[in-house]
Amino acid sequence: MQPIIREIGGAKLFCIPTDKFKSEYFSLRFALELNEANNHLTTMLLPVLSRGTVTHPNLLSINRYLDELYSTTVSTPNKRMGDMRCIGVSADFLGSRYVDGGSILPQVIDTVAEIVYRPRLDNGCFCPEYVEIEKNTLCDSIRASVNNPRGYASHRCRQMLCEGEPFALSLIDKEAVVRAITPEKLYEHYRFLLENATPIFCYVGSTSADEVAAMITNAFPTFHGRNAPYRAEIKRVMGAPKRAEEAMPFCQGNLAIGLRTDISAVDSEAPALLVLNELFGGSPASKLFLNVREKRSLCYSCSSQAHLFKGLMFVRAGMKPENRSIAEEAILTELDAVKRGEISDIELEAAKRSLDHMCRQVQDNPAAISAFYLGRDMIGKNESPEDFRRSLSVVTASDVVEVAARLDVGATFFLNGTLEGEEDEE
Amino acid sequence: MNEKMQTFESEWLREHYYRVVHTSGLPVYVFPKEMTATYALFAVNFGEVDNAANAEGEQSFPAGIAHFLEHKLFSNEDGSDSFERFSAYGADANAYTSHTKTVYMFTATDHFGESFGELIDFVSHPYFTEASVKKEQGIIAEEIRMCRDNPYDRCYYNMLEGLYYCHPIKTEICGSIRSVSKITAGMLYDCYSTHYHPENMAVVVCGNVTVDEVMHIVNERLPKTGPWQKPPRATVNEPSTIHRERMIDHGQVGKPIFSIGVKDVHIPLDGDARLRRDAAMAILSEMLFSESGELYHSLLDRGLISPEFSADYALTRDFGFLQISGEADDPEAVLREILDFLEKQRQNGLSEADFERTRRVEYAESIKGFDSTEEIANNLLSFVFEEAELFTYVELLKNMEFDYVQALFAEFFDPQRFTLSVVRPMRDNER
Repeated sequence: MQPIIREIGGAKLFCIPTDKFKSEYFSLRFALELNEANNHLTTMLLPVLSRGTVTHPNLLSINRYLDELYSTTVSTPNKRMGDMRCIGVSADFLGSRYVDGGSILPQVIDTVAEIVYRPRLDNGCFCPEYVEIEKNTLCDSIRASVNNPRGYASHRCRQMLCEGEPFALSLIDKEAVVRAITPEKLYEHYRFLLENATPIFCYVGSTSADEVAAMITNAFPTFHGRNAPYRAEIKRVMGAPKRAEEAMPFCQGNLAIGLRTDISAVDSEAPALLVLNELFGGSPASKLFLNVREKRSLCYSCSSQAHLFKGLMFVRAGMKPENRSIAEEAILTELDAVKRGEISDIELEAAKRSLDHMCRQVQDNPAAISAFYLGRDMIGKNESPEDFRRSLSVVTASDVVEVAARLDVGATFFLNGTLEGEEDEE
Repeated sequence: MNEKMQTFESEWLREHYYRVVHTSGLPVYVFPKEMTATYALFAVNFGEVDNAANAEGEQSFPAGIAHFLEHKLFSNEDGSDSFERFSAYGADANAYTSHTKTVYMFTATDHFGESFGELIDFVSHPYFTEASVKKEQGIIAEEIRMCRDNPYDRCYYNMLEGLYYCHPIKTEICGSIRSVSKITAGMLYDCYSTHYHPENMAVVVCGNVTVDEVMHIVNERLPKTGPWQKPPRATVNEPSTIHRERMIDHGQVGKPIFSIGVKDVHIPLDGDARLRRDAAMAILSEMLFSESGELYHSLLDRGLISPEFSADYALTRDFGFLQISGEADDPEAVLREILDFLEKQRQNGLSEADFERTRRVEYAESIKGFDSTEEIANNLLSFVFEEAELFTYVELLKNMEFDYVQALFAEFFDPQRFTLSVVRPMRDNER
């Protein structure tokens, strides 16, 4: 499944030809530099665009049309990648073998183009009613961040770890900023996007790259801009680690530990960092799972995640509030063990095999295939999942130890649960 | 060995699978699929609802035992953890317990045989000690606390409490910290020997494998078992009315969340009839409550609900309910709007055009489900213990009649069978 790459008037198309799936996948993505002035506007943009277009002026009309297109699912992804934000539109739809009258890809491409380039406008600006509804929805979701204590703790940890950097930007506590958005301001941001950024397209399916390129040329206007190049501030921890705590009425305490390294996705050490994360806390065979959870029964959930685009790693764990110190110490003890090189051959092989399995699984999901190639393209790497697997397979224990030495705790946040537990009532 | 092999085929889906009954009584399903990853599961027809001891819904074992057993089976006599064994082959293993079943599974892109052998092995060899049970109680207590902190879980279980007087469906799958603290190694062995018998289990494998490959490993690794008597399942005397009209709770939420439950009291005993009802309800709930429906847009445009709004129907041999959930400042108003909307539909009749559009949606969604080995295997399993069949369900969706859906609509939505569960934000003095 090697991608065929086409240039279309300055835009790029990744076409992954396959007839392996019953469904197909088409997406467009814009990359923007994340900053305080545009974060709220960028977040609001696609939800407003997908509420109504020239042909389908409201959500009901769009949804019914998508139903007619054999339940085509359109979503508007919005992701942080390093200090960038990637937004776009993606569609998951039935392949031609299962629809009457041949492929619906032309209609899907038209719909995506219509959402982005032909939105419903009132007097040359976004419809005020739609902007108002989406502001309310965004404010609701900001308030709902407390519904998920683990996510909230991670969020606060990220803010502390990357304070002052675009990656730390968030809309929590920014309801007033969202409320102040006007249709005019949002439209101005939209025009800026169209004039300064060019979409990257991706298609996974059985239509040829030439045909897909021709459909895109027909459906989309000429592109002028250019996507902002990948940018991320990658650095090791400066100064003493930060610590903070908040209390909320939950049964559990939620601990989030943020770590920084000067290694990111563009570096040759990136595969070793992934192997480190996997054996430290990335899988049920990891040190955190087997020792902190299984041997010491301190947590049900205790795991780590690497953010290669920003050179970060986060540990998240939920525990009885009074076990916070013991759990934190147990987590850091496992990290020290990796740093000291206490990595068995079994652990190393298990971690590498687990990552190899994940890379191979990419081939089984059209959206994952697209995400893989767009992610590599963003950092300027022309790599296939097979190339990536090869780079993981040569990682040694000493590579992992070397990478671990460049990983430091930068921030620890604890969300203390203040509700009395059931056993305390007995 | 394969004399009892049955083949199931769907010409229009271009898919097929096999069913072989092993000499132990274990049904094995093999769904060949050209994918990189193979997904395999070993399931037991035993979930939290099977723990009822009598008509009043009292339990044979402490609540949460099915889930506890699922956790403990990963520990082996030699002190190893099965997760480690799977990871040595690069496989990704996991397990879950639902109201009605316990499922152990893995995905593998390499060394399928070794991982599949390990799956059969660890599920077939229970090993519990009082010390290891004690240790697991600590881990599960944390899982219970985590669930308690999840307002959506609370809203869901409160909705079930509103619908049911004594049916074990309303028992939390993890149990409570108190109930799991009573579980002993002896109870786990008792529970295991009562329910974990090949005749009460099933294997489903989906991926790049053959029946012979799968059966060879089952023959090699499944231990011999003696005769088994299916435990008599207590029929719970659950009234047809609802237990409570309102279940109001407070929690750490930004805006009230709600779950409206509708109790199904006409559950067909016959498996085929149940399957048809299930397929018709999938279409009906999509017609009435989906994002392409009038009700959704009327509520959303007036700001009465947040965009996340869904309806799901659950039907098994002895319980059935529809759940409509979302987020709203005034969930009472949402319930009133829903009841008014249903009344108007009753007076004006359902739209046949909506029915046709929805049937097309369900048809397309069912096809998309055949792109993932995990989804195929779990869908197939969901019909196995209900004595139904996957392709028959998809055919039913494709050929559903409007008249049947209309009749179901007329019978199902009795306003007396609605309950409303709400989790409101805590007031300051409650924090």
